[in-house]
Amino acid sequence: MSGSDFAYDFPHRNLLSIADLNPLDAEILFSRASHWLEAIRTANRKKDALKGLTQINLFFEPSTRTQASFEIAGKRLGADVVNFSAASSSAKKGESLADTVRNLAAMQADILVVRHPAAGAAAHVAALTNAAVVNAGDGMHEHPTQALLDAFALTRRLGGLGGRRVLIVGDILHSRVARSNVQLLNLLGAEVRLCAPPTLTPVGAAGWGAQVFTRLDEALEGCDAVMALRLQRERMAGGLIPSEREYFRFWGLTHKRLDAAAPDAVVMHPGPMNRGVEIDGALADDEARSLILDQVEVGAALRMAVLELLGENARKHNGGRA
Amino acid sequence: MSEAFAIVGARLVDPASGFDGPGGVLVENGVIAAAGAQVTAQSVEGAEIIDARGAILCPALIDLRAGVEPMFAPGGETPASLADAAAAGGVGTLVLGPCPATPFDAPEAVAALMREGERQPVNVLIAAGATRSLAGEAMAELGLMAECGGAFAACVNPVADTLLMRRLMAYAAGFEMWLAARPSDAALKAGTAANEGDQAARMGLPAEPAISERIAIERDAALAELTGARLLIDRVSTAEGLAAAAAARRKGLETGVTAAIASLVFNEVDAGAFDAAMRLDPPLRAEDDRAALVEAVRGGLIDAVVSDHRPLPDEAKTAPFGEAAPGSTGVETLLAALLGLVHDGQLELIAALRAVTSGPADLLGLPQGRIAEGAPADLTLFDGDAPWVFRAADGRSARRNSAFEGRRLQGRVLLTAVDGAIIFRNG
Repeated sequence: MSGSDFAYDFPHRNLLSIADLNPLDAEILFSRASHWLEAIRTANRKKDALKGLTQINLFFEPSTRTQASFEIAGKRLGADVVNFSAASSSAKKGESLADTVRNLAAMQADILVVRHPAAGAAAHVAALTNAAVVNAGDGMHEHPTQALLDAFALTRRLGGLGGRRVLIVGDILHSRVARSNVQLLNLLGAEVRLCAPPTLTPVGAAGWGAQVFTRLDEALEGCDAVMALRLQRERMAGGLIPSEREYFRFWGLTHKRLDAAAPDAVVMHPGPMNRGVEIDGALADDEARSLILDQVEVGAALRMAVLELLGENARKHNGGRA
Repeated sequence: MSEAFAIVGARLVDPASGFDGPGGVLVENGVIAAAGAQVTAQSVEGAEIIDARGAILCPALIDLRAGVEPMFAPGGETPASLADAAAAGGVGTLVLGPCPATPFDAPEAVAALMREGERQPVNVLIAAGATRSLAGEAMAELGLMAECGGAFAACVNPVADTLLMRRLMAYAAGFEMWLAARPSDAALKAGTAANEGDQAARMGLPAEPAISERIAIERDAALAELTGARLLIDRVSTAEGLAAAAAARRKGLETGVTAAIASLVFNEVDAGAFDAAMRLDPPLRAEDDRAALVEAVRGGLIDAVVSDHRPLPDEAKTAPFGEAAPGSTGVETLLAALLGLVHDGQLELIAALRAVTSGPADLLGLPQGRIAEGAPADLTLFDGDAPWVFRAADGRSARRNSAFEGRRLQGRVLLTAVDGAIIFRNG
């Protein structure tokens, strides 16, 4: 039923990278996400689109909202959801990722939601199993569902992304969110800008289809939306920035700074936030400007759409079996 | 004592003398008794005649860098399995190089390996580790290892400590050993899995910039100038590094330069699909770098092309790209991969073969690597055009981690001889 309004059915068996998607795929996902967003705002949220399927959330990095969001999304669709986190798993006992995945596949998992610190980990898992694989973050490479939910939230707010100017500011170098977002925003016709300290700007970022800035005030000019990225404190040991207060002074988002942007510009953040480092707490909490909690709410709906469409395809191709 | 035999009707290619033309070779008592156009089926008496039917006859290949695995590693590459694979690849002389798991950092280990090497059908030489455990912290017993037959010292991991590097060079120079340094700035290299550039940035992989190589070569060249050391620049991989190596040579420093075959035929885009088989060290670089390396082989700045054969168990490669162990097997595909560059018009045949015959022989002062009267009868006969698809599972190496898996290659070895003994024959 999901693809019936569109020229073709959602064709993908995995969601590994935004690079695999075209604009129509995104439209299908947004359409289903809108449907689920309406549905979960009612008192009867439980549906059975994934009834009989087993979804395993395989998290090798700590995560609160992403794992909870996938768990809630799967459960609302009627899947049997199992959480497998590295802290309590056999990975601690030295089992390789490949063996873990083969074992879970042997338990007839239908959908694997994978987060792992190594770039390419989700693709590696997909190559080892017939289960549908959702990349929930692979090292510094990609985080496609975050980009999809960001674009979905923005589309709902702005009425479309074509010709809109969107700035991503912060630790671009280590950010899988930025890598996915730049691709998706370009795919949807937005004008993308990046702003970061030179030490946190990836080599060749100017070739990503984005204009690259060092100074925030210049970067903000005329922007319709600004996404702040989390400063990854755990990666700052190598002297990438001198201090957090210096970072906030030059790259932190505040109400005053936002004056340089378009009049109704909104701010976003993928979380978890460092208040007073990349964003001023007052701005983050300003419901008129901040989409941050919106992102979380629509995130669950968007992930329902992803799981639903991949689940359908898994049933089609595997008879529901991995 | 081996039988006398003659290979006739071949295209004889000898980079040492620059000869490329029809001819044959007569082998007696393990050495080349005669070579050239005058050696024909009619001219030879009392020896087996092998009709080459126009195939190419060249000196057996010399591979300056191949690795084995530790003794008793389950299913691991031993000197015997490596020698078998080398023979099938047309390689007659192997230099075993150190790796962290097999650092060759003590004279006992080098002596034991030499004894093992002497039992193999191919010539086996050893490059010893220059620092203990290759940790780059304390000098290994270079002099004793040289006495045991280590061909040259080597420090695989970049040595961060400039003072130690100076001392290594000065000490190695006293024993007239090459000091082989893999050029990489230790801090720029640490924790990286790819070449810095657009490709790695998109893949989100920690990456080493090309200038890391240049910085290391410039430092080491300055130290070589100070100490009088013979500096072997081990597996150069970037245009920046080549420029620094050329500058050192222009200054008159005694330098040798090698490159890994994978760096000549692949670039960073080949690793773009997170293919762990393409996780190599040095990492695959930009296409401009690859093209510069080919040019440097043609121009002679690169003395030797090495297989950089690094056998690994399957599980070392069954991991996400950045977590997979770096390295590829390569002795069996070295010649065919080089010939690919010849077929593509990137290299002349004689220049390609120089880098695996007389080039490395001259660096180490070996009598092999040339077709000349009195030289050891180390010969390789190959069909330069025969197409095949490489499947590591069908190969002779104990391991299957090949960057060439499934690649279409052109050029197959028909016969390999070492010291006048035919050690491999195909068809």
